[in-house]
Amino acid sequence: MKFSIVLTAAPYSSEAAATALKFAKALLGQGHTIYRLFFFNDGVHAANRFTTVAENEISLQQQWDSFIAQHKIDSVVCVTSAFKRGVLDEQEAKRQQFEVASMYGSSEIAGLGQLIDAAVNSDRLVNFG
Amino acid sequence: MTSLHTISKAPSSRLFECCLPALKHGDGVLFIEDGVYYCLTDAGLAVSNPDLEVFSLQEDLDARGLMNRKIDQADVIDYNGFVELCCRYDKVISWF
Amino acid sequence: MINNSHRQTITFISRTPPYGSDRAQLCLDTALAAAVFDQEINYVFYSDGVLQLLNNQNADAIDCKTLRNITETLGLYGIKNIFVDRGSLQQRDIHEDDLATAVQFIDAERLAEIIDKSHAVFNL
Repeated sequence: MKFSIVLTAAPYSSEAAATALKFAKALLGQGHTIYRLFFFNDGVHAANRFTTVAENEISLQQQWDSFIAQHKIDSVVCVTSAFKRGVLDEQEAKRQQFEVASMYGSSEIAGLGQLIDAAVNSDRLVNFG
Repeated sequence: MTSLHTISKAPSSRLFECCLPALKHGDGVLFIEDGVYYCLTDAGLAVSNPDLEVFSLQEDLDARGLMNRKIDQADVIDYNGFVELCCRYDKVISWF
Repeated sequence: MINNSHRQTITFISRTPPYGSDRAQLCLDTALAAAVFDQEINYVFYSDGVLQLLNNQNADAIDCKTLRNITETLGLYGIKNIFVDRGSLQQRDIHEDDLATAVQFIDAERLAEIIDKSHAVFNL
């Protein structure tokens, strides 16, 4: 089955970012596919690469990034939610004259149309917040 | 068509009570995250329709020390079960 | 940008009050995006979401955009299936004529039907 996953809550503030990741791994493990991952509202913080954790830990953001990269998942960060929360892709960072992007390159910035496209074209849309 | 409703906040949120009127014959409810604490309260579950299937996520029960508690009303499932439920029901409605 | 090979019914359940969080605005924005992409849309005010429809709102004092004309905005985008849950109004002692707006009042049973006939549901 084709799934799309929407995350609307920030990592650590709630369990949702961790739940969504475990769910995503489980569904790929069963041979289902992810049509799209959509980071929405505070969920965009999951794509922030400017995070640090204790040496022996892996941040949730890093875990999401490796998961997305490893499985080449279509991952979209909502533009309206992201920019006002300081999650900037390379293009926006450059435009605002920041030296580097704060967003992982494994996701792409796009609008709500991509969320609607996911809702329309997936067999199941599952929201975590 | 049937829906799986996920509830992810503690009973004080009254999310299950909010979701309850919107449930239809054949729907399922899955408690995840802090929602698993609903398994401690008979109140919410007892008023539910007997046709309703109720599930609770094992990992979240384990984490909270609830595995040995009485949770008769809910079937305990793991993440693989979560995915299977999403397929079994026609859509997923998240209450958070 | 969007693969519009099939038109789907998408239901939005707006459950939060207007200003304490941006969920009401997000729900609206997402529904408007769905309207732009020509989907069949239901918009339901449920639980605390009915508080978005109270008359005489003025959010200038808290530096927010007033959500006053939310149903008109939905209408402008061609969203006609706008529903308000009667039970949610009753629990909050709000009368139907406190809401100066063109909506359809429904009970929870009808909400269950609306959900049932939808391809996807956003529950914000």
